[in-house]
Amino acid sequence: MAADSEPESEVFELTDFTTASEWERFISRVEEILNDWKLIGNSLGKPLEKGIFTSGTWEEKSDEIFFADFKFSVTHHYLVQESTDKEGKDEVLEDVLPQSMQDLLCMNNDFPPRAHCLVRWYGLREFVVLAPAANSDAVLSESKCNLLLSSVSIALGNTGCQVPLFAQIHHKWRRMYVGECQGPGVRTDFEMVHLRKVPNQYTHLSGLLDIFKSKIGCPLTPLPAVSIAIRLTYVLQDWQQYFWPQQPPDIDALVGGEVGGLEFGKLPFGACEDPISELHLATTWPHLTEGIIVDNDVYSDLDPLQAPHWSVRVRKADNPQCLLGDFVTEFFKVCRRKESTDEILGRSTFEEEGREIADITHALSKLTEPAPVPIHKLSVSNMVHTAKKKIKKHRGVEESPLNNDVLNTILLFLFPDAASEKPLDGTSSMDNNPLSESEEYNLYNQFKSAPSDSLTYKLALCLCMINFYHGGLKGVAHLWQEFVLEMRFRWENDFLIPGLASGAPDLRCCLLHQKLQMLNCCIERKKARDEKRKTSISDNVTNTYPGDAGRPGDQLGPDNLKDMDKEKGEVGKSWDSWSDSEEEFFECLSDTEEFKGNGQESGKKGGLKEMANLKPEGRLNQHGKLTLLHNGEPLYIPVTQEPAPMTEDLLEEQSEVLAKLGTSAEGAHLRARMQSACLLSDMESFKAANPGCCLEDFVRWYSPRDYIEEEVIDEKGNTVLKGELSARMKIPSNMWVEAWETAKPVPARRQRRLFDDTREAEKVLHYLAMQKPADLARHLLPCVIHAAVLKVKEEESLENNSSVKKIIKQIISHSSKVLHFPNPEDKKLEEIIHQITNVEALIARARSLKAKFGTEKCEQEEEKEDLERFVSCLLVQPEVLVVGAGRGHAGRIIHKLFVNAQRAAAMAPPEEELKRMGSAEERRQNSVSDFPPPAGRELILRTTVPRPAPYSRALPQRMYSVLTKEDFRLAGAFSSDTSFF
Amino acid sequence: LACAPHSQMASATDSRYGQKESSDQNFDYMFKILIIGNSSVGKTSFLFRYADDSFTPAFVSTVGIDFKVKTIYRNDKRIKLQIWDTAGQERYRTITTAYYRGAMGFILMYDITNEESFNAVQDWSTQIKTYSWDNAQVLLVGNKCDMEDERVVSSERGRQLADHLGFEFFEASAKDNINVKQTFERLVDVICEKMSESLDTADPAVTGAKQGPQLTDQQAPPHQDCAC
Repeated sequence: MAADSEPESEVFELTDFTTASEWERFISRVEEILNDWKLIGNSLGKPLEKGIFTSGTWEEKSDEIFFADFKFSVTHHYLVQESTDKEGKDEVLEDVLPQSMQDLLCMNNDFPPRAHCLVRWYGLREFVVLAPAANSDAVLSESKCNLLLSSVSIALGNTGCQVPLFAQIHHKWRRMYVGECQGPGVRTDFEMVHLRKVPNQYTHLSGLLDIFKSKIGCPLTPLPAVSIAIRLTYVLQDWQQYFWPQQPPDIDALVGGEVGGLEFGKLPFGACEDPISELHLATTWPHLTEGIIVDNDVYSDLDPLQAPHWSVRVRKADNPQCLLGDFVTEFFKVCRRKESTDEILGRSTFEEEGREIADITHALSKLTEPAPVPIHKLSVSNMVHTAKKKIKKHRGVEESPLNNDVLNTILLFLFPDAASEKPLDGTSSMDNNPLSESEEYNLYNQFKSAPSDSLTYKLALCLCMINFYHGGLKGVAHLWQEFVLEMRFRWENDFLIPGLASGAPDLRCCLLHQKLQMLNCCIERKKARDEKRKTSISDNVTNTYPGDAGRPGDQLGPDNLKDMDKEKGEVGKSWDSWSDSEEEFFECLSDTEEFKGNGQESGKKGGLKEMANLKPEGRLNQHGKLTLLHNGEPLYIPVTQEPAPMTEDLLEEQSEVLAKLGTSAEGAHLRARMQSACLLSDMESFKAANPGCCLEDFVRWYSPRDYIEEEVIDEKGNTVLKGELSARMKIPSNMWVEAWETAKPVPARRQRRLFDDTREAEKVLHYLAMQKPADLARHLLPCVIHAAVLKVKEEESLENNSSVKKIIKQIISHSSKVLHFPNPEDKKLEEIIHQITNVEALIARARSLKAKFGTEKCEQEEEKEDLERFVSCLLVQPEVLVVGAGRGHAGRIIHKLFVNAQRAAAMAPPEEELKRMGSAEERRQNSVSDFPPPAGRELILRTTVPRPAPYSRALPQRMYSVLTKEDFRLAGAFSSDTSFF
Repeated sequence: LACAPHSQMASATDSRYGQKESSDQNFDYMFKILIIGNSSVGKTSFLFRYADDSFTPAFVSTVGIDFKVKTIYRNDKRIKLQIWDTAGQERYRTITTAYYRGAMGFILMYDITNEESFNAVQDWSTQIKTYSWDNAQVLLVGNKCDMEDERVVSSERGRQLADHLGFEFFEASAKDNINVKQTFERLVDVICEKMSESLDTADPAVTGAKQGPQLTDQQAPPHQDCAC
């Protein structure tokens, strides 16, 4: 093939290396690289083990060189081998053939499932490729090809490198290589033919044998036997007989909380299309000898059923549509929307306007209606719908993105207490949760989401579902509006929000969850206050409650907020006027300034009188046996105000304020002062509960280590306990002393509230109303990811697949890292979602294969296990051997799959049938087999013959051929003796 | 100044705080550290000794929460320590625990001359577990080791308890300036280690079992918000 004599002669004419041509420089660069990579000489490795091409590790090394300004890349591909003890071997084996020539004949790695094409074609364990560096570049003209091959030849000759060196020619996609391997006195030429149309004589074994023989041109008779390996590959695409069970849920069917089989609060799972697209069956005759079988133009012995080896691989659908993945992805997209709720719903500020209208009507009704006694008789089931009616009134039913049934179903799902007439004690169900210790339940801690039984979590799932099935972004905006209205309604009507753990906001959860918990804290306090107020009113029937005049019961819509506020103001004022009868205040930590004045007043009063003469107030219980130092009265622990609950943003705000004061002494002092409200309140409570007390008494309760007692012997010789404040408490005008001096004896219930629930509730409600759908989606994304992970875990538990288990673990640890940050990057979030989708596809594939191979139907336990193992191997290995080939259990199933597909194809329209019957090859196949014509025919022919002359050395010869629908390729490696020819 | 209680690690390059901080002061990382423990075990003195190298026999009992700042160098990185000092009184628990979540390190302190403060360590540790972020690092410190005459908690007991809780242990004296700097620096090292560890290991779920500190020369954690 190579015409290397001509250019070579040119080289010899050049002696002046300073004027060396581009070509020479190119060659010397190649040589340099071969030297650098230490590819010189023969280093014999171990004989190739069976399957090592797949199980072993392949590596490559690359470098770039120029031929003039044309860039080539040189790449060394090699199988990583255990270091053979080269030292032990006799290095100077003159006659030993290069490793690669020996490998040409090795039959242990024919048809590797995954390998470089040159490995597949020539069975090499090591080679160097010289190829144009840019993908679009190509060496096209014949002279250039020859020049390149000559370079290869010269470089190999000059260096003594025995590793085959290939040059890639023509367009890259054609994968055309020419190459050479040189050893002492021997040479192998690697040649290639690549055709679109296959000449008829090359479609069968006998034709190919003829080419092989003529190419070898062996002068001997009889010709040494040619060994033959054949592989026929059959493709099964038609799975028709197995309907893919998963259908996308039917959007339109909404039956009592179920959407096409999907309930709210659940996530869908699985692939919508078959995630396994093709099955490739390779039937192999690994070792035939010429004459054993017949395969020619008219007849073939090659019946796939009789092939001694079967192996199978599956082709996975690229990115199959997976429900869970789609769900989460779509929800994530909401995070990037810019529109506000009003923009989306196309109706501005329903709330504001609604309120205004209500204001007017309300004002009138105040004048006209008689004043009823307020009775909280409203059931929650009414109220869910009040909110909705409000929107509808302003928007018109037809515009509502969510239809009524869907909305009702969701609201009932979110607020189950609305179904029963009397509101549940919202929070109690959350507290003793049997799950709460389980790892899965506590996942919210890692994801910073919310507990899986919480309202927040459920809301996330509902929004996810709505976004996907019910009106997309509009639906999301609509539901959110409803939700916010509901929150306001609950606040105004003292109904606790269900599905939230009681107590202060849980900082381990997402901010939205904290906000809802905060609102619940406010409702709880307001409710307690309102209830107390009610009792006090019913106790004092004569005292008509002025604040209630004109108040139209409690059937207030959520829009009546302004009124409520106004009324509260009135209430405050009216109470103020009652301030003489203090027993009416009874635990009412109301929100108005007046109370503070009140307290101060009484403080002043107390200051005038003797402190000790005050009536003790707000006692919780006695503090052990302690008595007051001055008057010996028992020391009482007072009822105190609970510190204000905080959400993380408030906390952040507060600590930012504190930090801003800096680290100076003044800053520190100011900081302490700012935080002294709680201390002052406690001191006042303490004073009220313990008339006649002193700071020492307070300290003994509050900070016992700051009261130091010592045994002293007095003048009479008796041991007495003498106590005093610690040194730090005695520092003049320190915070504690200062506060103590300011503190008036006021019981907690009459102090100014440390926690202004009205203000905080309004802040929360405002915050909620301001959230755009995108904000909302960002708040809730951790919940959705949390839910998706739980869903994948649940599905995996049915499959019990260890590799999937491992991936899920990785997803969890990855997500918890990403989600812990306030504003995780989109890229990282996408990655998590992608990982979840991948696991879903993996599980779907496993299921698809199980269904196809009918592992469930298998009755014999042993066979079932084998089959299951086979199926799970298919998912992870590139190619799986079928034990027993066509006669084994799995083999019979595969056979049946093909037979069924053939039968289905037989019923196909006639014109297709005609096409099918096109070639002689196919006609032949069709008549004998249950299988379709092979999609690929691969052959390897090998022999050892002397070449070129009968007295030359006997050397390995090999030819590989592959025939597919699209192309035909012959790859020959023909060795010849370069000493004796 | 950033002290987002929920941002586990606000590095200077954190998109959210970066600008604010870097305009404020020059540093590569900011670690938030909390000192907790019973009332009058010497938390404030300890902090003043470290931050200002000063000692006063009596500081006003801390009301609520206070803080000091110190910048140190570690592997050519400027680390700004924002150290929050807390009130130890029982009554302040709810207020102070709210700050736990943002802290990357804790110094849990008891007074070696006070049995009660030592007995409370277990409780404090539970509080940390409940309210702090998972990866927060804790050091147990027995303060006032200068007052050997009044010692009621032996070093051995302190060490045993620390082992039991999985914390590192120091005895220190703010008054005599013993082990104060060492305590803080060790805590910073432990935090750095944890940080680079969770950056290095692609899959901490698999290697998470690896326990105990290895004093490797920590690679400077990359300039991203590290997942620690």
